[in-house]
Amino acid sequence: MAFTLWNLFEASLLCLNAICILNEERFLVKIGWSAKRAPTGFGENPTAKAQILNLIHSIRTVARIPLILLNIVTILLKLLLG
Amino acid sequence: MNFNANSGPKQPFGRKIKRVSDVNAMGYNPYTQPQPFPNGQDAAQPQPAFNPQHQPAQEFNQSYTQPNNVPYNNFDTNQYANVPGIGVFAQPMVQNMAMQYTQQLANTGTTMVKKEIERFVPVNRLKYYFAVDTKYVLTKLGLLFFPFTHADWSVKYEQDGPVQPRFEINAPDLYIPTMAYVTYVLVAGLVLGMQQRFSPEQIGIQSSSALAWCLIELGVYNATLYISNIQTSLRTLDLLAYSGYKFVGLIVSILLSIVGGSTAYFCMLGYFSLALAFFLVRSLRAQVLPEISQQEAYYGDNVPSSGNKRRLYFLLFVAAAQPVLSWWLSYHLIRYTPSVTL
Repeated sequence: MAFTLWNLFEASLLCLNAICILNEERFLVKIGWSAKRAPTGFGENPTAKAQILNLIHSIRTVARIPLILLNIVTILLKLLLG
Repeated sequence: MNFNANSGPKQPFGRKIKRVSDVNAMGYNPYTQPQPFPNGQDAAQPQPAFNPQHQPAQEFNQSYTQPNNVPYNNFDTNQYANVPGIGVFAQPMVQNMAMQYTQQLANTGTTMVKKEIERFVPVNRLKYYFAVDTKYVLTKLGLLFFPFTHADWSVKYEQDGPVQPRFEINAPDLYIPTMAYVTYVLVAGLVLGMQQRFSPEQIGIQSSSALAWCLIELGVYNATLYISNIQTSLRTLDLLAYSGYKFVGLIVSILLSIVGGSTAYFCMLGYFSLALAFFLVRSLRAQVLPEISQQEAYYGDNVPSSGNKRRLYFLLFVAAAQPVLSWWLSYHLIRYTPSVTL
């Protein structure tokens, strides 16, 4: 059960990479997972699906640049330390 | 041996020794007495720009090898005294000014660093969670093991936030979870050693693993709160505090497994899970579930009636996750203990 902080870091890095790869216009709109707020309801009670999509959209916006740096660092570390 | 930092030679009767934390408040700076540097420069300063090129290394060596032995007047015969511009550092006034300037620079540096740290780690909020005393810790531990008879679970509030844990038994704190976490790592090492499975790397592995699971748990709680759009006054550090309380039962269960094997371990784990679930539901109910006051009921639906079910589910989810995680964090430690037939 050697689930250490490094494993957690790697797993979260992979998940964040997966989230950031999804392109908004080419892919998500086709499925209907776009994060543009539908005009139904003024957001008094946004549904859970809308919240999740909002979360994905904000993760994509915020985490893009730091993810590039983190990926570079992780690749270098894995190259050097195996 | 007495490790208490405050007990030294007995203080004279009736006089309190003032502890001064800032040397500037003392009115004078004990360190600006002119130091007898051999080449008249401060050893802590970066070399001034107009130094001759080959001399900085030698000057550094000189200032480090002859700290205080050269008397103050000797620098007149120093070979560097005829270099233009360096003589200005020999005068004590300039040294004083240089020292004060660097001190101000260091002060602004520390305030800047503190401000940057404040952005990532809320230091003031952290201090609130560690404001505990012995009575609080003992009462809280007793409450964790037997919360069934406690009557009043509400938290008193001050103007800007909840009362410190020192004065309010129902407020969460981070002291108990931190100590319980460290004790868990030590107890894990102890149990592994008794099973001949110990090595120093195990300490790092166990502590890192428990920390990783704590972070995952916190992340899941925050994501759940965000996705199901639950408005609550619970902060992340509160959630961290409440989810850290399970380490207390964890270490007692592991210690009991040494004596009584798997039977005692599961019994203690089951009882503590029940007690902790009761404790959590009662404590968090006041903070997660809305309190309907008279005025709000008059002035329209300020109270989201559909949110109640979600909040209840969240509470039950938190309470149910604790035994699962406690079992997951400790099962691998007791696997090899032989169970004593009772």
